[in-house]
Parts: sequence; C-alpha cells; structure tokens
Amino acid sequence: MIVTASCELAGRAVDPAAGRTTHMYRPLTVAEVVDALADGDGELLAGGTDLVPALRARRRDPARIVALRRVLELRSRGASANMLIIGAGVTYHDLTGWSLSPGLAATARVVGSPQIRNTGTVGGALGTANPRGDLLTFLSAADAEVVIHSVQGVRTVDVPSFLATGLNRTELVTAVRLPRPCGPQVYLKIGSRQAASTALVSCALVVDRVHERVNCAIGGIAGRPTRPRAAEEFVRQGIDWAAGTIAADVAAGFGELVAQAAAVVPDPLPDEVGGSAAYRRHAVGVLAARAVGRCLSGAGPDVALDVAG
Amino acid sequence: MKGRRVGSDMNTGTGTGTDGDVMATTAAETDPQVSYHLHIDGVLRPVTNAWLSESLLGVLRDQLGVMSVKDACEQGRCGSCSVLMDGRLVAGCTVLAADAAGAQITTVAGLGTGGPARAVRAAFLAHGAVQCGFCTPGFVVAVTDLLARRPGADEDEIREALAGNICRCTGYGRIIAAIRSVQNARG
Repeated sequence: MIVTASCELAGRAVDPAAGRTTHMYRPLTVAEVVDALADGDGELLAGGTDLVPALRARRRDPARIVALRRVLELRSRGASANMLIIGAGVTYHDLTGWSLSPGLAATARVVGSPQIRNTGTVGGALGTANPRGDLLTFLSAADAEVVIHSVQGVRTVDVPSFLATGLNRTELVTAVRLPRPCGPQVYLKIGSRQAASTALVSCALVVDRVHERVNCAIGGIAGRPTRPRAAEEFVRQGIDWAAGTIAADVAAGFGELVAQAAAVVPDPLPDEVGGSAAYRRHAVGVLAARAVGRCLSGAGPDVALDVAG
Repeated sequence: MKGRRVGSDMNTGTGTGTDGDVMATTAAETDPQVSYHLHIDGVLRPVTNAWLSESLLGVLRDQLGVMSVKDACEQGRCGSCSVLMDGRLVAGCTVLAADAAGAQITTVAGLGTGGPARAVRAAFLAHGAVQCGFCTPGFVVAVTDLLARRPGADEDEIREALAGNICRCTGYGRIIAAIRSVQNARG
C-alpha cells in the first residue's frame, strides 16, 4: 500500500496522520470559497481546534480541505443601529472584551484556553455545533441568526433552525447577526475545572429592559441548547422592571422552573462520568438562578445556593 | 514522486510565490504528500514530504526536528505544543501545518536570547519552576507572550492566561513565583 511505502520513505514506521486528504485549497474570498464548495466534497477548516485533532485521530478523513484562514472578509465585526454582525472568521479572542456585546465577551472569555481562543472561530463553533458549545448556548439566548452563503446565494436562518437542519455541504457560514443588547447579559458554565474546560452545563441569560423580556438558553442538557420558555415567562412577570430588581424567591423559582424544563427535553444527553443527567438538571437550575441574580439586583448574592434540585 | 507543487486544478487564489504562502495541491489520489515552506523562528524551512492532514505539531517534530514542541494531548488542551503564530499563542496540535504556510511560527528557541525571554528562562531556573521539564517550553512561550502583552498582570490574570498550559508535576506555585520575579525585576 502506497501510504505505508511513503511512510517508510519518510523514515517513519507508521504515520497515523496520513489520511486520504489529497487536496487543500486556501481561497481569499467568500466567492472563491463557495465556488470551491459547489461540488459538495470540501471539508471546511476554520480555526482548526476541532478538525485538526480529529484528522490526527482519524475521526475525520476528508479528501479535500478548504481552509478559511486567509479569507479576510470573514474576519470583520460591526454594528448597525439595531444589530451586531460578527464574521464567521472572528475568533473568541476578538470577542473577549468587545464592549458592544458584554454577553458575547463574557461567553468568549470562558471558552477553552488562550490558545483555543486565539484560534477558534465563530463559524467553527457553528460548523461543529457541539451540543456543549459555549457560543451556541449564548447565541440561542440572544435570538441570533446565521448568515449562510452558497453559489445559490445567501440565506439567513435562526439558530434553532440552523441546529435542526445543519449546513449543506455546499454552504458556508459567513456571519451571525444578533440584536444589540438592551440590558444585562451573562453566561455561566460549570465544567470539570474553572478554566479551559468544556461546559458540563451552561446557562446564558439575555435581559431586555426595553421590551421587558428575559431570554434564557441552557446547554449540556440536550443535543442542542434549550430555551425554557415557561421559566422565561415566569421571570418576566416576576421582575420589577421599573426598579430593575428581582426578589430572591422569584430568582429561586426561576431556577426551579429551568431545572424542570431540563427534565423534559426531548433528546436528553446521557449520563456521563462527572455529570449524571440528574446532576446536570440540578446544576443548570442553580446556574439560571445565579445568572438572573447577577443581571438584576435584589436577589442577594447566594440565592442560587437555595435552589432545590 | 513526492514534493510536487501543483495547484493548477484549483488555482484560484493560489500561486507559487516564494514566501511559502502557497499551498500546493497534489494531483494524484495515490500521492497525498506535498511540499511547502514554513517560517519557523525566522527561517524559511522546506517541508518536503508531509501529509496534508498533518498538524503543525507533527510537522515541527517529525519533519523539522523541532523537539521543544512537545506532543502530549493532541487535543489543544495541555499547552505543551504552544507556539506563537503571527504573534498569537496557539497550540500546534490544532493548526494544520499546510495552512500555516505564510505565517510566522515562533517556538521557544525563536523567542530570542535576550530581553524578556532570557529573563523568563533564568527565572524558571532560579525558582525551580522546572520539574520534569516536559511542559516547560510551552510555558516559557506562554509566559513570554503574556509578559509582552501584559507586563503588569496580577496573579489572577497570570493564572487565567496560563490556564491552557498544564504541568502534571503540579509545579504551578514555582512557575507563578518565577513570573512575579521577572515582573519585580523589571519594575
């Protein structure tokens, strides 16, 4: 077999990295990317934090890689009067500390490690769609939309639809759009350690003081982030919007409703080491109560600890 | 035959410049090896028989003999293969080597023999911040990067900045002490 022969020529007995990847393309523009994807056999490479280890482990073995690193038009971010738009090539590092979106900044800051944040991208997070992905959870809470290009043109879908149907192999995520913040936003997660850890469970909370709404998304419970709608409605009614405060019992009740919602998701993630489904349901309720307490004063610092499992 | 520079079958946006900024594509399914150049520590190094799917970590060690870049988790979690790519701290195991063509890669050897890198190395020695030494090159790269960007970082910021570098000897206390001493010496 030629792979083995080539390995020996290279002075290496076995090269587990040798896959069937025979082509790589490094386009400069979105138009070139979508042209290259038109045949449907190109594997997109964004930051590489998911794909490159998977290539090494041979979990993925694409014939053709389309690398996005040099597509500068994917790296911009900006704001209009009502919306934020973030190019798919924007890294977590670029989002950390972005004052226009404190929620995105808070989410990006707790993704992986500095090394991961310097390479991982918004588009990569969407393309991989890890059910524990930090960014997916926040974008679900923020009512974000995904902008997708192909040779057929441009389409825009909301995050739940995107996660339900996925990306056609001829398509490229070029950006996400989300409403500009109208109130406090937080993203909280629990992992095996404080930093550089995948979220076991997570909770994103987006408070809209103008329209008097609370959006909540929880991650690590189901195959994709879940919106606990009954809990959102409960807390919306319980907040003193004029004062911008929440009572401790309302925050605790919100956490309980979130935990209840986590118990009835249609596609729960299975038990795993360090995080049984029961523990994760409890923990996400704690996170939700803590999140709303951080967004709105009045609940006291430790309200989350009082939430019953 | 290996080392073919082709690229004409999918050539939009490619070319064969001398800066290594070009990814050659191979024409034959039976020969997925390619040639390109990488800028490593200021030197343009030819890579003549790598596989397209190889990581920067793999090519640095197996093709170019850069053994300071350590191979441990291969999942971007441990930081032992930390290098700078165009000045940004990255894990070499998460970078596709062929996609690093055109970028400036800096390993611990390329941080310089003077200045902050020298001070960091000296402080690691003086404070016993090296036990088995496996994680040390990655830590020195990460610490030098941190002190260049945030010379006055407090301990919380230092710990956050080093969260992606794991020392399984658990020698973090000595590492933090070494960093503090560099900061103190520089005032």
